[in-house]
Amino acid sequence: MVITTRDSQNVVIFDIDGEIRRMDTPETTLHQLVKAELEKGRRNILLNFAAVEFIDSFGVGEILASYISTQNLGGKLKLCRISKKLYLIFQVTMLVRVLEIFDDCDNALKSFEKH
Amino acid sequence: MITGPSGPEWPGAPDRRLHRFLRRFVDIRGNEARAALAVFLYFFLVMLSIYVVKPLKENFLIGVRPAWWGYADLITAGLIGFVVAFNTRLLNRLSRRLYSSATYGFFGLAFLLFWYIFQTYSESQGYTPIADPTAQGIISLQLAIVNSWPVPVFVFSFLVDVFIAMSVTQFWIAVNDVFNPHQAKRTIGFFVSGGLLGGVAGSLTTTLLVRVLSPDKLLLMCPAILAVIVATVNLVYAEQKKLRDPDEIDQVRAGARAGYLESLRTIRGSKYLRIMAGTVALAMAVETLVNFQFKIVVKDSFPEDAVRTAFLAKFFLAILLLSILFHWISTGRLLRRFGVRLAPLIAPGALLIGSLVLFGLPVSAGLLTWAYLLRGADKTFDNTLSQSLRELMFIPVPSEIKYKAKIFIDMVVNKLGTGLGAVIYMVVYAVSDLALKPVMTQVRELGVIVIGLIAVWTVLNMIIHREYLGVVKKDLARKWQDGHKVVAEHIDLDSTRLVFDTIQSRDRSSALYAMNMFQLIRKDKLTPELAAVIGMKEDEIKARSMGALLDVGGEVFYQGLEDTMADKDFEVQVREILALDAYKAVMHGHLDAVVGDAGQPETERMEAAKLMGLMDPSDDVIRYLGRLLKDPSPDVLNYALASAAVHLRKEHIPLIIRHLGNPMTQQMAQDSLASYGAGIEEPLRKLLRDPHQRAVVRRAVPEVLGRLGSQKAADILTSELAHDDAGMDRDIVDALYRIRADRPGIRFRERHIHAAVQAQLRKAAAAVMGQAGGAGKRSGDGGRGPEAQLGMTIKLIFDLLTLVYPAEDIIKAYQNIQQGTRKSVDYSLELLDNLLARDLKAILFPLVEDLPLDEKARRLSKALRGGTPARPWRRLKSRRPVV
Repeated sequence: MVITTRDSQNVVIFDIDGEIRRMDTPETTLHQLVKAELEKGRRNILLNFAAVEFIDSFGVGEILASYISTQNLGGKLKLCRISKKLYLIFQVTMLVRVLEIFDDCDNALKSFEKH
Repeated sequence: MITGPSGPEWPGAPDRRLHRFLRRFVDIRGNEARAALAVFLYFFLVMLSIYVVKPLKENFLIGVRPAWWGYADLITAGLIGFVVAFNTRLLNRLSRRLYSSATYGFFGLAFLLFWYIFQTYSESQGYTPIADPTAQGIISLQLAIVNSWPVPVFVFSFLVDVFIAMSVTQFWIAVNDVFNPHQAKRTIGFFVSGGLLGGVAGSLTTTLLVRVLSPDKLLLMCPAILAVIVATVNLVYAEQKKLRDPDEIDQVRAGARAGYLESLRTIRGSKYLRIMAGTVALAMAVETLVNFQFKIVVKDSFPEDAVRTAFLAKFFLAILLLSILFHWISTGRLLRRFGVRLAPLIAPGALLIGSLVLFGLPVSAGLLTWAYLLRGADKTFDNTLSQSLRELMFIPVPSEIKYKAKIFIDMVVNKLGTGLGAVIYMVVYAVSDLALKPVMTQVRELGVIVIGLIAVWTVLNMIIHREYLGVVKKDLARKWQDGHKVVAEHIDLDSTRLVFDTIQSRDRSSALYAMNMFQLIRKDKLTPELAAVIGMKEDEIKARSMGALLDVGGEVFYQGLEDTMADKDFEVQVREILALDAYKAVMHGHLDAVVGDAGQPETERMEAAKLMGLMDPSDDVIRYLGRLLKDPSPDVLNYALASAAVHLRKEHIPLIIRHLGNPMTQQMAQDSLASYGAGIEEPLRKLLRDPHQRAVVRRAVPEVLGRLGSQKAADILTSELAHDDAGMDRDIVDALYRIRADRPGIRFRERHIHAAVQAQLRKAAAAVMGQAGGAGKRSGDGGRGPEAQLGMTIKLIFDLLTLVYPAEDIIKAYQNIQQGTRKSVDYSLELLDNLLARDLKAILFPLVEDLPLDEKARRLSKALRGGTPARPWRRLKSRRPVV
């Protein structure tokens, strides 16, 4: 898995390439990367899942830990371009009740402006 | 930019010199300088005029029979309601500027009229009016004045009372119109100083002029002063437009235009306002009775009219000078030291002591001195501390209610309190035949009633603080919920992870998949939708649309698998098999071959690790599990750690701890350790304090202790705050915050928390002072902005504060300071001002208030120089049960 970071106005976008799995964890985990951005004062985080096919339980933990850290600082963490399969699983596991998920990353970026 | 030795930089602030000059006396910011000066001048002039007419009124009243004194206050109390109703109509119809100009114009004319009346009466005392047919009308008027005496005195007394009440109320309404609550709180002391100086100027003028002019001639000064007031009021409202947004001004106006009955209903509908009205009424009743005691002694000591006027003027002057000194030296300090919680008890306390002293005095000796002191203390507190407190108490009241209530309380309730005092006096006078008794007996009999009223007043003052905090908090809402709470409310994290493990296992091993499915069913988490999703092959799921979720029925891995597993008999059968000796013998052989051999297929090791959690904890199983906990594969360890969380064996703890340092296994290792529950704290404490242990491992420990949530875990974490040498403060505070949220019964060691808060405050203060000095700009901070670091430290401080202060209040205050409107930020600061210990506020406030960097640094430097009190936690403890 490779995670690259870019900025779009006041939003930090994490483009994730590959599967968020325990066996494929980079040296710095997603949660650590998110925390580093929060410590820089960034509060709007967007996870771009366009190139993510699947995640395992470790990946779920990383996403939720990132969500909690962001939420506790009054920030927003959202997901975009999640695969249909993952969305289906997120629905049945109720993750969609907590995580804001968008079909399109531009719409997700616009949604940050409303806050 | 404004720069100077005493002033911070205020980008874009106009009136540079004025701003710099006023900064020496008052904490003004931005473009507040002109408005502050105009309001200061306004109050100066109002009090100047009041202190010219007040001694005249007192003198004329003392000149009539003591039995009639009460009538003056009763007339005011009885009629003030009509005045307020009329006043409200005027307010509703006229603009604020026109309204103020009209009322001051009216009083100017009225004082001219009374100058004529008093002069006529004064002249009539030595001369008989000459019968001149050309001046028949004038003579009739003169005769009417003489014959109706002392009615004009009471009418004048009423007029002066109305003038004082209206002009002071109008002034404070103007303050509320021009400044928002937070600005008002900073500047009130300055305005009160203006009023006191005006009072001194008025008294001084009266004292000096009364020697060359008769008292009635002094009245001629008032119309001139009132003309200047009208000009000043217009200046004040011109400044309002510069300080307040247009919509705010409209809101203020809408709130101000309330009817008389509406005002009464507003007060009746609010417990806080009812108590405030009660305290004002009682304070005024006490003041009235103390004033009657004073008048009795003064009349006895100074029977001559001119001597008495001069004495009264000097007395009021002395009180005002004392008030100024007291105000400049003590009011601010007392308010900061005691806040609105204890400061309201100071005035009644002092009056209570003064009244009790009366009963220890030898007969008549020192009575005049006692009267000076008691009346002097009463007036001094009224001019300074009590006045500031009354205005502060109104600050949190929403503006739409404030205007309705304030006019009514300041004018009607205030005078009703005076009327109550007058009624009490008249009843005592009549029932007790006061006039026939010695002066000492008279004041003592009144003193008994004063003591009783003070007792009730004190109780109301104690109650009102609680209500005050309620009003402050009313408009503060949470801006966001805690992340872990949101997740916990919507998601079963363990089951969610199991779902993902099950899906993942489906493509790796049918046995692993079956075991995961079996576990899901046992947890009653396998809904039809989930079964459909899990049962689908991965490529099939990819091809499906979102709508497929509602159209369950795709091909499953094994048709009917979930139904079979859901059968009760199935679970019983599995249990029976797992318990069979033959099964164990066979399986142990298999496990022996698979476990601990990295050369064996990973899938088989994962299956084995999963199976361990289903099997009975025999010695062999525990031993195999121990070997699996040393497996190099994170996927195997994931299952092994989950199985370890089932059996909870002590010997596995060191093996689990090893995995805290690996990001891939840290979550599961933490889950596994947390499953052990209370009793595992000691090894975790050792780990936390082991300087030879890797930082990443130590930093994973607070999360586990936080999830244990025991008192011992809280104590370990709290103690660790004191000697954290691995930069774990954020992790420790997060864990403590979680314990506080999950286990409200847990108590935290305030001494350690307070020390930690102090340490963080000093760290933040140093950062700000460094920034102000340019250090932050030079330091390499790895891309982190100094402001962002400061923001994280402040969050840490607030999280710590939730441990020892009412958590919800602290959280709301933090969130509103971060993301609130200007109004909610003000209210948050006010709430914190009432909750936190003084030494914490001294550093925290400059950090969170909207101040220029230089000013923040200056205040922080001053606060740090002030040092920390020797045992601050003692005070912290005493302040805890405020809510």
